[in-house]
Amino acid sequence: MDQNRQGARASYVALSVFVALWILAPSAVRRFNREAFVEFQAPALHLLGKSRDLATFWEKKSRSVEEMAAAGRDLARVNAALEIQINKFEDIRRENVRLREITHYNVPAEYMSVVARVATRDSSSWWQRIVIRKGRNDGIRPGAPVVFGNTVVGRVTAVHLTTSEIDLVTSPGFRCTAYLEGDDQNHIVLVNGVASNSLGTAKARVSVIPRDYSMPAGQPARVFTTGMGGVFPSRLILGYLDGGTYATQVGNFKESLLVPSRDLYNLQEVSVLVPLHQNPGEALMQGDQFQ
Amino acid sequence: MKESSDTRVLPSTPVDRLRLYGVFFFFFAGFLYVIGGLVYRQLIQSNDLKEQSDTQSRRVVLRPPARGRIYDRNGFPLVDNRARWSVKADLASLQKEFRAEYLRLLAAEKAREAVSIDREKLMEDARVRVLQGWLNKVWFVIDETNRNTKGRKSVAKLTPVTAPAERQINIDELRKHLRERRALPFTLVNDLAFPGTGQALTADDGTKSVARFIEQFPVEGPIRLDQDNIRTYPYGAMAAHVLGYVKDTDMLPDNVDDISEVRIESMQKLRYTGKTGAAGVELSYNNILSGRSGWELWTKTSSGYNQTRLKFSEPEQGGNVMLSIDYRIQQATESALGKLKDPQGNLLPAAAVMIDVHSGEILSLASQPSFDPNRLADRVSSKYYDEIEKTGGWLNRTTQGLYPPGSTFKVITATAGMRKKVVDWDDVLDCGPFFRVGNRDYPEHEPVGYGEVNLDKMLAVSCNVWNYQIGLRTGIEALAAESRRFGLDVPLLQTVSDMETGGQPMTELPFAASRGLVVPDRAYKLRIGAGAWNDGDTANLSIGQGYLLTTPLHMACVAASIARGETRTVPSIIHSQERTGRHIGSVPIGLNADQLEALRGGMVRCVEEGTARVARIPGLPYAGKTGTSEYFKKGEKAHLAWMIGYAPADNPVVAFAVLVEGQTDTNTWGGKTAGPVAKEMLETWWPIAVKANQDENPKAPR
Repeated sequence: MDQNRQGARASYVALSVFVALWILAPSAVRRFNREAFVEFQAPALHLLGKSRDLATFWEKKSRSVEEMAAAGRDLARVNAALEIQINKFEDIRRENVRLREITHYNVPAEYMSVVARVATRDSSSWWQRIVIRKGRNDGIRPGAPVVFGNTVVGRVTAVHLTTSEIDLVTSPGFRCTAYLEGDDQNHIVLVNGVASNSLGTAKARVSVIPRDYSMPAGQPARVFTTGMGGVFPSRLILGYLDGGTYATQVGNFKESLLVPSRDLYNLQEVSVLVPLHQNPGEALMQGDQFQ
Repeated sequence: MKESSDTRVLPSTPVDRLRLYGVFFFFFAGFLYVIGGLVYRQLIQSNDLKEQSDTQSRRVVLRPPARGRIYDRNGFPLVDNRARWSVKADLASLQKEFRAEYLRLLAAEKAREAVSIDREKLMEDARVRVLQGWLNKVWFVIDETNRNTKGRKSVAKLTPVTAPAERQINIDELRKHLRERRALPFTLVNDLAFPGTGQALTADDGTKSVARFIEQFPVEGPIRLDQDNIRTYPYGAMAAHVLGYVKDTDMLPDNVDDISEVRIESMQKLRYTGKTGAAGVELSYNNILSGRSGWELWTKTSSGYNQTRLKFSEPEQGGNVMLSIDYRIQQATESALGKLKDPQGNLLPAAAVMIDVHSGEILSLASQPSFDPNRLADRVSSKYYDEIEKTGGWLNRTTQGLYPPGSTFKVITATAGMRKKVVDWDDVLDCGPFFRVGNRDYPEHEPVGYGEVNLDKMLAVSCNVWNYQIGLRTGIEALAAESRRFGLDVPLLQTVSDMETGGQPMTELPFAASRGLVVPDRAYKLRIGAGAWNDGDTANLSIGQGYLLTTPLHMACVAASIARGETRTVPSIIHSQERTGRHIGSVPIGLNADQLEALRGGMVRCVEEGTARVARIPGLPYAGKTGTSEYFKKGEKAHLAWMIGYAPADNPVVAFAVLVEGQTDTNTWGGKTAGPVAKEMLETWWPIAVKANQDENPKAPR
């Protein structure tokens, strides 16, 4: 009995000492600890992602030859169609470059694309943040936009050696400017992630919609990036306006909800567009003041 | 034995018992006092104490609403609101940074062994340094020249030492903010789209600055993006005198009576800076346009910062106002006035107005020079204010400018003469090159005179001698009475209801009243100490000169009244389908059909072949009367060019008046100078009216 009491007392003392040390420790030590923990669990995340890939591989391998042949035939057709499109886009690209040179138009920000597999979702903020299996070693930097095809997935918020954390479009930490489909005057609107409970549907808010804006009939209006903020390339799809727009009491502007265009819950692979040149926002994110 | 001695009870004496009762009583009384106090505090004083607690620990923050819009008669917005993005620092969140910076500064002071340390000054320096650091970061992000920042991590190094004012924390503003609005966030950049001195950083209306901040500046932290509305006037200076402008106000309306369960009367209230009307419609209809303030109920910290928002209510936008102005005619009117320049290329001061003959609604009302209300909507630069002051741009010459009406007054002289039966429509008078009154010759503007002149010809050529004769025959009393009958002594700035109840002028037309109107008579001349009235004064008055002073709007109303065969027109700046032309005080003009026909015919002839022939419009016969009156400009004689009229001649719909202030070195004449302005106004109005008529009556002839 006495030994148990002593043991309990010792554990309380140890806990108190640890808490006191943690509180008194300099921020650099705490940051190191956090980084160390992330790096410690990184192999586990890699293993998890790879085992999921392996499961998918075996699931596909179990398909019949007929099924695979049919899928291969379909894929060949899609490839042929895409080849034609690529040629067409190449012509347009050349014409675009020529016109930019003639008009001395600013060259848009250039990006290096890093393709990364999704390792896991951050359990501390379910649906709002994912972890990918590429990090600082692969050239990823904080603040870089993350896309899948021509749709925006989110933005890199933290970069570790071999993993990176991505704030999804629906995360409260995500903010960008956008154009609305059907707005001929291209007013910029604000897209902001909305904090939602873990079982709710994740959405973002679209605000500062001009009061005279009306959605195109018969289809949900797409929301595009503007490319003006120096982070996201222009004309990427952020999502669709949810149902309708709602006037705010303040007047003059309307609000709506944004439904992300990709199924954020089933993402397997994303591309990180790492800008070739560092922008001011990235410099601020790397500064001590935001740690 | 031992046990029994422990339990033994000693007999108490009466003295002990008394002492014990005393102690009991003392404790009982104390207990009662405590309980009583609790009951008193909890049951009786609870409401007062709760209110006191709320007063001390809570505050209400009032937020300004967006103002309502102002439309033209067709629903085009003349005044709107645009989004203003501002960057604000949450001072409560910056407390730790302030404290840390303060301690650093204090340590530095102690290290250099300062004799006395001003701790308040140190705290202020700490605040300024911290906020300056954040402001640097904001500019670092929004300035597009910072494209490639690789290897440059220190933001402070990127900020020039000699930064312009907008890139530096204004210490006076910070002091004022801490003194009066400590709980509210401090504004670092007032308008992100125009963060410089009212200029966008980039060529695309500043949108890029906003976009760069939104996408690059960290979402978390003490710096936040605030979005509110700012007044915008899409057509710039167009109709500026009608629309007016807004100014800052710290006195938001206290209309927050719906904060349920919270008594706010004695609670501290903080108000964001809002906007209130300063002139024009913005001022006159401020109560409609203002809207309803929003509110937030906050708990506050002991340092006076906001802590937790308990409740809030969004502000409600103000109501809209629809003006009678047609922006197309207004644009044409101002464009025509803009062509009037002196030899040095400066704009000539001028005014023009067009009104609906039947309803009295004003279709265009312009005054030159003017100002751009957009530049007054936020922070007014003293330079721009002085510029307007210097050019005389504040004055609305259409409603506030007081001028002798010159020969346009001859329609009233003729009406007075015919009503007094001293002349008839077909009487012919001999009109030489001058007319002698007393011992002075009053000249004709045609050196050889006009010979035989009847009413029709008089109006066409604007014969002076005809009017001298008729004016003298009519007499000053009748002339003055006729002028008053046409309302030349009545400020037109009153609502119909004001007029019906005999209330004070104002509001229907949102301008400072033209209180200096003068319809002279014998009493007036004596009152101003200019001696007794004489025939020369009557001769002068008969041609609209002398002491008579009126506004262009009054003369447009005179033209509208003649077009309707009445005496009064009540103008309105508000568009209403229900307005049926209730021209309070108006009576029939008092001329027989032939007389009225001759009066109108003379005005038509004036345009067709008379002094206004330069303003003739093929296919649109209309009535007009020109005038050229004299006035003194800086001690030298100069001319005022006038033209009034109505159109079309046979079925009047609109009436107008144009006035141009000539300079001493300009050749200014009624028909030649004011005529083209009237012509351009009517040429713009006519197709609009024809199309509107076609839309209403598709079978009407084109």
